[in-house]
Amino acid sequence: MGETWFQREFLQPRRLAFNVIFYGLHLFFFGYGWYSQFTNHKLAALNGLKWSVWTSRGAGLVLAFDGGLILVPMLRNIIRVVRPKLTWLFPADENIWFHRQVAYSMAFWAMVHTTAHYVNFFNVERTQVRPETALDIHYTQAGGITGHFMLLIMVLMYTTAHHKIRNQCFEAFWYTHHLAFFFMIGLYAHATGCFVRDSAEPAYSAVFPFYTTDHCLGYESWRFTIWPGIIYFGERIWREIRARRATRLSKVLVHPSGAMELRIIKPSFKYVAGQWLFIQVPDISGWQWHPFTITSAPEDPYVSVHIRQVGDWTYALGERVGAGPQVVASMTKAALKGDEKDEGVYGTRGDFVEIDSTGRALPAVRIDGPYGAPAEDVFNVEVAVLIGAGIGVTPFASILKHIWYRQKKGTLGSLKRVEFFWVCRDAPSFGWFQTLLQEVEAAQADPNFLRINIYLTQKISEDMLWNIAVNDAGAEYDPLTLLRTRTMFGRPDWKAIYSRMSQAIQTGQYVPGTNAQLKSKVGTYFCGPGVLAKAIKEACQEANCAAVDFTFAKEHF
Amino acid sequence: MGNLIWHEYARYVSLTATVYTIWASFWGFYYRKFFWDFVHGIIRNPGGIQPAASDSLFVSIIVKAPVVQILSMLLGFGLLALDYPAPFLKNTAIHRSFPIRIVLLLLQTFFAILYYQGTNGAIYSFIAALCYTRAQLNGEIMPEAKDHKGRGGRA
Repeated sequence: MGETWFQREFLQPRRLAFNVIFYGLHLFFFGYGWYSQFTNHKLAALNGLKWSVWTSRGAGLVLAFDGGLILVPMLRNIIRVVRPKLTWLFPADENIWFHRQVAYSMAFWAMVHTTAHYVNFFNVERTQVRPETALDIHYTQAGGITGHFMLLIMVLMYTTAHHKIRNQCFEAFWYTHHLAFFFMIGLYAHATGCFVRDSAEPAYSAVFPFYTTDHCLGYESWRFTIWPGIIYFGERIWREIRARRATRLSKVLVHPSGAMELRIIKPSFKYVAGQWLFIQVPDISGWQWHPFTITSAPEDPYVSVHIRQVGDWTYALGERVGAGPQVVASMTKAALKGDEKDEGVYGTRGDFVEIDSTGRALPAVRIDGPYGAPAEDVFNVEVAVLIGAGIGVTPFASILKHIWYRQKKGTLGSLKRVEFFWVCRDAPSFGWFQTLLQEVEAAQADPNFLRINIYLTQKISEDMLWNIAVNDAGAEYDPLTLLRTRTMFGRPDWKAIYSRMSQAIQTGQYVPGTNAQLKSKVGTYFCGPGVLAKAIKEACQEANCAAVDFTFAKEHF
Repeated sequence: MGNLIWHEYARYVSLTATVYTIWASFWGFYYRKFFWDFVHGIIRNPGGIQPAASDSLFVSIIVKAPVVQILSMLLGFGLLALDYPAPFLKNTAIHRSFPIRIVLLLLQTFFAILYYQGTNGAIYSFIAALCYTRAQLNGEIMPEAKDHKGRGGRA
């Protein structure tokens, strides 16, 4: 770890601001809820319950606030639109993180609220301030019933959302999380029992919302919290409509490394490089949507995704399109072993097999999206440092292709150089990506524009060491990746890389045509695990100086 | 359904249920009430439900002295130590046994359903017991923790 909880939560300005605002608002709402109950003379009878009713009312208002917030980070389409304009204000890529923070605080305040109500109802029964028993309130009135149901739903949703469960059985998480629909209904209906009232009996009426606000003196918070719910529901319907627009799977290509490339034609689908989509194949499952990174550039006439057969769904997909697991699994295994090298040192890896679709028609597919961070900011910096780690390299397929297209058209903006880093455990399992890199590398007219750096972090055996030592010497292509670029071994030393880059820029060697008077911008775009992100970010900050401005962005895919 | 490992899921439900029950039993010390007192009980104003004479046993161990609540809390801490797990229980035969958990969770359900605050804890404990039962029926076993061994030597 190296970093204490205090350093993480309080010593980073952004996180500190979030903590102060987010938890400050929670405390404010709690205090206000408490105060407004405490000072309300109409509710004098309820105030006879003392601290427990003040606590429950305060926590209730906080929960209303959380209930209104919980769906906001899930408004994917709206976030996609507003994100580019608001990156300076909040990291919109962190929407799932924010969703979790709201959920955690919701669990805490639900505990406070429920505990206080258990005391409230106990005392209502004991003092008979209202002619009812504790269990009447718990299990026969709207507030109690919806409350207990919401708690049960929370138990199920929170436990299945644990990252361990999500990883081993995504369906369990996915389906259970749709209980949110009933949770939100429960939330909006929680106050319809008119518990907070100045009369002994609830003041119901015949018109919506079926109680009168003359005597029912709750916060009426549903009037506010229902809007994110309605917008979210509308967005889900809109996604469904959009997904039903004409979509055709035109080609399935199987790459030697075992990845299937699906080329999909959907004229209404507009996206930019670096985004991702959800894909559904009704033949396999009519409900499941699976996220994949788009690997084609917007200029391509099709949308492509690369899928490796690693889970239930992807196996079934391979079976359905005729690239059965046996076929592909053997290819994957071969690729992992690096068998292709047997074909000769310079054997091409780029050959792929197109699946013959004459036997059985290709399945219907539906795609939903695009979502996520557009990488358009790449063209606003002079030097773009693209770092992909492991599977996190996929979005850069689209970005590199896109840069290549723009290079051909001569619309690169201020972009002068691209440094591409790929940190990977076993490069051969991403053979398809190497093919793409090969194409991009071969198309470079200016050898300095794009630099590809590949780092292999796995341990290598003695045999392989000799293999590399012998084959590598004097060869035009790297024996592992078949790129002109040499593969490097071990973890990259980010601090050295950045400080060297910074020096080179300052002395004017690095970017041609810029002088030291102007501030150069170096943007780093990273996709991969968080530990690495932190190391790179620190290196970026350290390398910052008057002439060179290093920025860092972590993408979530 | 997918590759859900039921005992790993059951652990999260069990921990949730147990923490809830411990918290509930704590409040049960101060606001003592027999959950089932509405059966044959009469309502007095003020005073609330007066349990029927046939419930006198439960009144004496829940209302007069919080015996059930104390037992429930002790059992809760025991379950927490078993499921979290406490360091001294890690990788012991007790820790890897599902039947022990199922029995203890059902016992927790029984204790918790007796007092006013314990209802939800009882329901969640019962769900956790069902999940562990499913794990047992599926023949799942809890593997002994392995030391992390790096792998290498493959390209």
